[in-house]
Amino acid sequence: MSRRRKRQAVPLDRDASGRYLPLLVAIMVYLAALALAGAMAANKLAARWDSGLAGSLTVQLPAAPPGAEAEGAAQQDPALQAVVDLLEQTPGVVTTEVLQSGEISALLEPWLGEALLIDDLPLPRLIAVTINPDQPPDLTVLRRAVLAAAPGSIVDDHQRWLAHLLDLAWAVEIMAIVVVAMVLSAAAIMVAFVTRMGLAAHDQAIELLHLIGAQDSYVAKQFQSHALSLGLRGGLIGLACALPTLYLGRSLLERIESGLLPELALRPHEWSLLILLPVASALVTMFTARVTVLRTLARMP
Amino acid sequence: MVRFEDVVLRYGQGPEILKHVSLQFDPGSYHFLVGASGAGKSSLLRMMYLAQHPTAGRVALFGRNVAGLTRQETAVLRRRIGVVFQDFRLLEHLTARENVALPLQISGEAGARSDKDVEELLTWVGLADHMDALPPTLSGGQQQRVAIARAVIGRPSLLLADEPTGNLDDRMAVRLLYLFEELNKIGTTVVIATHNESLVQRFRHPITRLSGGEIAAPGGSAAAEAPA
Ligand SMILES: Nc1ncnc2c1ncn2[C@@H]1O[C@H](COP(=O)(O)OP(=O)(O)OP(=O)(O)O)[C@@H](O)[C@H]1O
Ligand SMILES: [Mg+2]
Repeated sequence: MSRRRKRQAVPLDRDASGRYLPLLVAIMVYLAALALAGAMAANKLAARWDSGLAGSLTVQLPAAPPGAEAEGAAQQDPALQAVVDLLEQTPGVVTTEVLQSGEISALLEPWLGEALLIDDLPLPRLIAVTINPDQPPDLTVLRRAVLAAAPGSIVDDHQRWLAHLLDLAWAVEIMAIVVVAMVLSAAAIMVAFVTRMGLAAHDQAIELLHLIGAQDSYVAKQFQSHALSLGLRGGLIGLACALPTLYLGRSLLERIESGLLPELALRPHEWSLLILLPVASALVTMFTARVTVLRTLARMP
Repeated sequence: MVRFEDVVLRYGQGPEILKHVSLQFDPGSYHFLVGASGAGKSSLLRMMYLAQHPTAGRVALFGRNVAGLTRQETAVLRRRIGVVFQDFRLLEHLTARENVALPLQISGEAGARSDKDVEELLTWVGLADHMDALPPTLSGGQQQRVAIARAVIGRPSLLLADEPTGNLDDRMAVRLLYLFEELNKIGTTVVIATHNESLVQRFRHPITRLSGGEIAAPGGSAAAEAPA
């Protein structure tokens, strides 16, 4: 006896939807994958800046009096030296480093140009301070002490800047979640539409199935298994197309400035989030097809 | 088994196709439903397999009023009814074998043993060589036999056959009517709609004659014996 593949009682595999639905799902999963990857990158940037900046302070002293700006400024500038001493004696401070005027002008060079003569411009003096994030110094006390030693100086813990950055990263994540949700709803609406068309196209076969005793769930099963395979196929295609794009995006980002950006390679749990996308698309299409069939049939006389 | 009380049927705003039809078919009985073309035989059967609601009156099947059935209950009831549709209604993308196995698959009885039943039945109706043929490649009479096999494969309690021999030669028609006879002997209630009067005369079963939307010569338990 020939044992061939069990054919579906409703011949959905011959419908045009079988050709178009996976394509549409693929496009949506592609977009969702990019959005997710963007959110994960933003999350990593935020985490890195957060941890990088949480352990540091910058003390900024007003521009040095004329004649005190040569190398070894700390020795020649009593206010600067006083602040450095004060910092080094403060519990919770790990290291202090006076940025040399050369370094500062290097930082400014992209904006001000190479030709700048550092002596012509009164530059503030900066002290980079590393603190112990577990036992940070009392900032209010520290600020007051630094001000007393060098009037007009500023102790910056980067919190304002950091807060804005974190807000931005958070907004990007929320947007990504919204994009994924919208993409999934669009897929669901599409599948509902395609399922209605399928029900209409196969009304004869479906009526026959009902007449010989099929429950609505039997009919729904045909549609949902069809939708499951289309959704899975589309999701995998979409993810497969998203991967080269993500790789390209990453290499472009890494070319900008490796020091500014964290390692963008995906970690295992981030991979699994991306791999979940085709699974999610398959499940969404399956459940939408099922619900659509059951609701449409229940409304029939 | 089947009980109609004052059943009226009209399609939409059209004329009354059936006017105050009352009938009762007892369990295990065998009935011929005759009448001219357009008399309403198919319409009457449609109400028996729950594809059509009466405009007025009551229809009861298996002792249950069918008016208040849920979709679920309707499906369960239909599994006990085998129907040979006048237009066959085979699924064209399925082979003869798959079409016949469909009721078993739906009721969850499909399996190796039922595969054998399907083959035996198809052989019995003379389609041993066409088991894997698709319906569009079969002749009208062959399709009709597939439809008959599908109707009886689940050993229904009630068999409704609408013109089941219309496309068959007399020899095959008689052979199939004997199949229904056999089913009837093991308890199936059989209702056959036909206008093949000569065939009806060969079997001594009550005849219900539809004419002008009413039952002219009522059959059934309380009815007079059909003319032989
Ligand atoms: N779906 C329908 N909508 C409107 N009128 C219908 C419908 N089905 C049947 N009719 C009408 O009902 C009447 C009875 O039709 P029915 O099919 O029951 O007759 P029948 O006795 O089975 O005829 P035949 O022997 O030719 O099969 C006919 O006049 C037909 O036009
Ligand atoms: Mg008819």
